Amino acid sequence: MRKTFARTVGVLFVYLVASGHVGSPDTWFEGNAGPYHVTVQVTTAGVVPGVANIYVRAIGDVPDKVTVQANKFDATGGAPPPEPATAAEGDPGLFAGKLWIMSGGSNSVTVNVSGPKGGGKVVVPVVVVAYSRLKLDKPMGFGLAIMGVVLFAGLVTIVGAAVRESVIPPGQLPTPSTRNRARLAMGITSVLLVAAIAGGWRWWNSEDASYVNSIFKPMAAIALVDSTAPARLRFVITEPAWTHRSDSAWIRKNGRNSWTPLVEDHGKLVHLFLVKETNGTFAHLHPASNDSIAFSAELPPIAPGKYRVFADIVHESGYTQTLVTSVEVPQRSPAPASPVTDPDDSWFVGRVSPNVRVFRLLDGATMEWLNDGIPIVAGKPAPMRFVVRNPDGSNATLEPYMGMAGHAVVAREDGEVFVHLHPMGTISMASQMAFAMRTPGDTIRGQLGKRVSEAEMSQMHQATISSNIVSFPYAFPKPGDYRIWVQIRHNGQVQTGAFAMRVPADTKDN
Amino acid sequence: MAVPFSAVPGVPGTAASVSTTSKASTEWTIYAVLIASASIVVGIVWDISWHRTIGRDTFWSPPHLLQQAGAIISGLSCGYLALYTTFAGTAGQRSESVRFWRLFQAPIGAWVCIWGTIMMITSAPFDNWWHNAYGLDVKIISPPHIILASGMIAIEIGAILMALGAQNRATEEREKRKFGLIYAIGASVVVLMLSIMLTEDAAYGNEMHGSSFYAATGMVLPLFMVAFARASRLTWPATRVAIGYMLITMVAIWILQLVPAQARLAPIYNPVTRMVPPPFPLLLFAPAIAIDLGLNRVKRLNDWMLSVVIGICFVIAMLAVHWIWADFLLSPAARNFFFGVDQWDYSSRLGPWRYEFWNLDTDSSGAWSARAFAIGIAKACALASISARIGLAWGKGMSRVMR
Repeated sequence: MRKTFARTVGVLFVYLVASGHVGSPDTWFEGNAGPYHVTVQVTTAGVVPGVANIYVRAIGDVPDKVTVQANKFDATGGAPPPEPATAAEGDPGLFAGKLWIMSGGSNSVTVNVSGPKGGGKVVVPVVVVAYSRLKLDKPMGFGLAIMGVVLFAGLVTIVGAAVRESVIPPGQLPTPSTRNRARLAMGITSVLLVAAIAGGWRWWNSEDASYVNSIFKPMAAIALVDSTAPARLRFVITEPAWTHRSDSAWIRKNGRNSWTPLVEDHGKLVHLFLVKETNGTFAHLHPASNDSIAFSAELPPIAPGKYRVFADIVHESGYTQTLVTSVEVPQRSPAPASPVTDPDDSWFVGRVSPNVRVFRLLDGATMEWLNDGIPIVAGKPAPMRFVVRNPDGSNATLEPYMGMAGHAVVAREDGEVFVHLHPMGTISMASQMAFAMRTPGDTIRGQLGKRVSEAEMSQMHQATISSNIVSFPYAFPKPGDYRIWVQIRHNGQVQTGAFAMRVPADTKDN
Repeated sequence: MAVPFSAVPGVPGTAASVSTTSKASTEWTIYAVLIASASIVVGIVWDISWHRTIGRDTFWSPPHLLQQAGAIISGLSCGYLALYTTFAGTAGQRSESVRFWRLFQAPIGAWVCIWGTIMMITSAPFDNWWHNAYGLDVKIISPPHIILASGMIAIEIGAILMALGAQNRATEEREKRKFGLIYAIGASVVVLMLSIMLTEDAAYGNEMHGSSFYAATGMVLPLFMVAFARASRLTWPATRVAIGYMLITMVAIWILQLVPAQARLAPIYNPVTRMVPPPFPLLLFAPAIAIDLGLNRVKRLNDWMLSVVIGICFVIAMLAVHWIWADFLLSPAARNFFFGVDQWDYSSRLGPWRYEFWNLDTDSSGAWSARAFAIGIAKACALASISARIGLAWGKGMSRVMR
């Protein structure tokens, strides 16, 4: 029991893991809400149900009114009325709102803006899961213990007084036998109360254990490298609820059948990232699959060693998750050429140096991280703007890479944080489209996903990039040493810029 | 006012007369705690409807404020009474009080109310922490809610103890009857509070064909209903308390349904347009009649045997009315304003479960089993008998409360 108490009393707010990315629970979006350009940050509570904080920042023109509205992907009874987001004092353009998120899974926050330029809205998909466990802090535990002692003593005293005095007529004194009966009653009450407290303690622990069990864990998966040449990387989802999703006997036995199929995001069923534990080697692959369980891709010519594997998938419900595993890449001699499974596969071999702000890409062009003089600290919006110039210093012309101006991957060196960013933020485009295109008639699995894929493909083919600057809305979730890979397409080739950054804690909060 | 000792049944010792003039000076506290008790229970009925209809929750929502007001009224009035009695009370007032930690003096009911208030206050930060740690609990039974509910029930019991003390001290028939009725109202409030705590196991018609319904009600209700009946001096006390509980609940059902409201939280699966009422009250008049008959007509049994008789009769009476009543509640005939059934939370995914029986007693193959049901009912009878036995003892003690 002492051990349990020690576990319960502490001051740590423990972050374990957060979907749809790893250790990076906030949702970021940048884009247009009608005529206004906004960034939206959604910070969920870490528990479900809980209150999410929504920060809407207008870039450029500032709207008069901003409202926010939560909903879930399958809510059949409509959406609740929008809640106002209030303009922050002293920070023009920033609006803050709060929303209760009552149910875990694929939720959305709709941001409505209106002002002189007109009105508009944007739907930001938000994956809501329980990811944190709050420990009882010492003053709170101490205060509750004091109150517990007072209440215990108070009740025992009341029972004693009830038996000893309350039943004798006014003016009389209790007899010795009444006093003895009162002592007996107090003793029995104490024993019963101790039993009740012990029962309550066990109940608390069991509630805590079942909560910890409900904390989000991505689907289990494994990755391995085939020994046959050319080496192939195999990635297999091993989560029983997924592999048995069409097995009616298993579903009946385990009572779980709420699943939606995977949908393609930027035309790919899975975006799989290999991040070498010891240096900046990195690969961004798109393994193919026939069953959404076993995936495989040609392994690019990367150095042998241990790699962290992060696989981003999107479900038809709009729910996104990052599956996490690791793989040992064996020594391959000679190193294979680079046959690729997917023309959009890319990789980076080399070192990442913390002091480099201008990175020379393989084709001689440069990528510079513009920090705009803003310090990067944990928890605060970070300047993540990268300008690409031709070898002669002129502005480079960027081409869409899977429909986007750029892709960025942010990973803390210890693997505790991993996130895949786009100029539109942390959200998945397919997820956003699933919310936008869903109709009440979408009750057959796969129908919506098909429409989402078709619409996304057509949008990708129309994409054009007008600037040589790519930017990503993001805040580093916690301090530490990070590596950042930024990928763009230039002259028909995917180019990767690699950076390192030590992110300090925000001292202003301490 | 002389209190003839012989008027108090079962109290040993010699008769004594005490001059007291404190009735008027403490009577207001009885009304104050009765109001506190009522505002708590109205607050909680409203709050549950609020969570089921509107969903949006803050510490300062109107139903929460009503419950907090109940705690404040109870704590302040009884705290004042304790301080006044201790430091400025007349000899008469002090003689009508019990001592606490050898220092303070107040009637026993006031101490119970103060204890309940502290319990409610303690639950607030704990409940807040619980929500932050594990998420807002959308269920009634959680550790901090049990602490809160214990505090609420304590305030309600404190209120009836104060009314009982006044009833037992009263010499005039009119006074006895007045405090007896206040006591019965207070007891109805406690039964309503208990029925709320039983909502998850024993409230809906869907639950009334499963033995767990009878086990849950049998475990909890006889204890209080028997105790209240034994301590009352009215005729048909348990029946009056049961009817009081039913009437309060029905009025709540009718009023809530009149109020237009909409859900303010997502996801909405059931777009409600009016406040969702509580389930129709349990038909507790039936077991209450059994309790009243048991206490009044069965003279030759000791309390142990009597509790077995009451326990079994309680379950049989519950079963006799609710088995048939369940069919009615699930039928279209009950889906109207008067009965208010078939109204579900904004977050309910409506389905055939609405008209099905839940928690049925089944065998290993999943089929309904008469044997499993009979075993469940036998367990319910045993629980009800134990509950009734504690109720008899507690009621005996309460019937003698003088201070």
